[in-house]
Amino acid sequence: MDAILVSIVAYAKLILLSMVPFVLAGQGTMLGGRTGVFNVAQEGIMLVGASVGFLVSYLSGSIVLGMAAAMAAGALFGLALAYFTTHLKMDQFVIGLALFFIGVGLSTLLPKLIIGVTLTPPLVPTLKDLPVPLLSKIPLLGEIFFNQNVLVYVSILVSVALWWYLYRTKLGLELRSVGENPQAADSLGINVTRARYWSAIIGGMMIGLAGAYLPMVYTGTFTEGMVKGRGWLAIALTFFGGWKPLTILYGAAFFATIEVLAYRVQVVGTGIPYQFLLMLPYLATIVVMILTFGKTRAPAFLGQNYDRERRAL
Amino acid sequence: MTAMTAKTTSRSLLGTAIPYLLAILASFAAAGIFIALMGFDVLRAYSTILFTSFRTANGFIQTLLKFVPLLLQALAFTIPLTAGKFNIGGEGQLLAGAIGSTAVGIAFSHLPPALLLPLVILAGVAAGALWGLIPGWLLYRFGINEILTTVLLNFVAFSLVNYVATGPWRDQGAGHPMTVAIGEGGFLPMLINNPPLNAGIIVAIIVAALVYFYTTRTVAGYELVATGANPRAAKTFGIKTRLMFISSLVIAGAVGGLSGALEVAGVQHRLIEGMQSNFLVLGLIIGLIAKGNNLAVPFIAFFISVLEVGASAMQRTLLIPVEMVFIVEALILVFVLLSDVVRRR
Repeated sequence: MDAILVSIVAYAKLILLSMVPFVLAGQGTMLGGRTGVFNVAQEGIMLVGASVGFLVSYLSGSIVLGMAAAMAAGALFGLALAYFTTHLKMDQFVIGLALFFIGVGLSTLLPKLIIGVTLTPPLVPTLKDLPVPLLSKIPLLGEIFFNQNVLVYVSILVSVALWWYLYRTKLGLELRSVGENPQAADSLGINVTRARYWSAIIGGMMIGLAGAYLPMVYTGTFTEGMVKGRGWLAIALTFFGGWKPLTILYGAAFFATIEVLAYRVQVVGTGIPYQFLLMLPYLATIVVMILTFGKTRAPAFLGQNYDRERRAL
Repeated sequence: MTAMTAKTTSRSLLGTAIPYLLAILASFAAAGIFIALMGFDVLRAYSTILFTSFRTANGFIQTLLKFVPLLLQALAFTIPLTAGKFNIGGEGQLLAGAIGSTAVGIAFSHLPPALLLPLVILAGVAAGALWGLIPGWLLYRFGINEILTTVLLNFVAFSLVNYVATGPWRDQGAGHPMTVAIGEGGFLPMLINNPPLNAGIIVAIIVAALVYFYTTRTVAGYELVATGANPRAAKTFGIKTRLMFISSLVIAGAVGGLSGALEVAGVQHRLIEGMQSNFLVLGLIIGLIAKGNNLAVPFIAFFISVLEVGASAMQRTLLIPVEMVFIVEALILVFVLLSDVVRRR
């Protein structure tokens, strides 16, 4: 009995740990999308975040600096996306793909230039668990929820804060209105351009941090293509999470559960070839997209560029 | 009608070429500053990138070998783009095709070339088409966005390749996951033996010509173009637009599968994990630089092949990472897009 309980606690803890990249990238995507800026460069931005975060913490010896650098890199990508789509009114999907390419290229170029090609990959220390005083002493729940690394707490708090901001504050309502009907928002004196810039930049920061989580918690080093589609999964997550912070949080738990299960089953061994278990997150995403189709809605102005001088037909 | 279009094209050819040339110059200049700052010799780097393909026969043939998958991957992207759909699943389709070709090539390895070669190619095309049918059907039946499904299926294909390449057909002698070779009857004939050039290039050029003919000279192709230009209008005029979407993805899958089949039958003669290289992203870059124009695709694909072959040489001789050139290619795309913005104003 005790053994089962222990393993349940271990699983639950692992699921929370594995949620973080999905939560951060999903909320980042959601935030940009709420003002109509649809980011599709997640995979590239996460790779850059992983690469830059790893490099800076390797060179400086500080994980905090590494995370800050990853966020700064993500913010730059967000800024570029906002500039190209808001000021230059480029096609959001096409410029998003271009940023994805640049991210993929930079993520492998930078380590090669700065560290060079080494036989054994250099390692950085991974993020330690940070038990919350008192709360971590609660039996079972304390171990699951309050004995995690700092980004687990941050990602959950950010999700709740975003929900509160978007649905319980006037500023949040204004932000949402930009993604639904920018013309109406504009006529009410809301600065549409500024809202789009900030949401894209902060969204980019969160996506960059999501990428940095991978070397800093999982591997301790950067490897080419280590994001393994999590950026694309985050887009899917945002869609079937209905662009709502809390639903995205639950959706991320679903992804994390599948990831953990696939990994555990692989270790335990069930006769199922492990390659088929590795397919699970992608196949499950497609199934969920089928199931939730038509039940969720995206911001009405998602992926479009606002031109205040355009005639309203 | 067509004659008129041809006339206007030739007149504005210079007008089209200038922004492209400026975009190339601008991205080389931008990357050049970066290369110089890193302490490398910029001029030597650029002469290596641009001229490796033309200095030796081997360099030129390397370029042609690269050109085949890049051209087909770009077409797998631009065909659905004509109908307004985005296929980001080219590498999954390539791998599905490679698995299909390898499976048939190993299972029927004793067959003579006259039978085995067509079977190997057809199996690859069919497997790729099937891989394109999945997102096509999901779009048709449930209205699910094809962008995500095509991408996600790439990752499914990666695992599938690993499964096949480490299964019973595994080449035990190789350290990296790969299968044993297909029967020799499934090898594409050689055009030149030394340096080796297989007949894949002819197939790829014929396919590019067929795609161009299909989209500009046939009714079905015109319906595809009309669907992409204005789906609502196309539907009003009786075009089955949803059927157009699914068929464009299946055709793209077949072309993507063909790129895998040609890699197996022409170059590798087996399934190798990672054989998709970065063909997908390069194909997307080519398709986007060409702005979906199927006539421009082969030329841009050739140019990118030149850069790619030059990039490998540059990494070997000057120790500048190949990714530098990939950034240049992405920048060319960004500058081409910027030139549109400038022209719009």
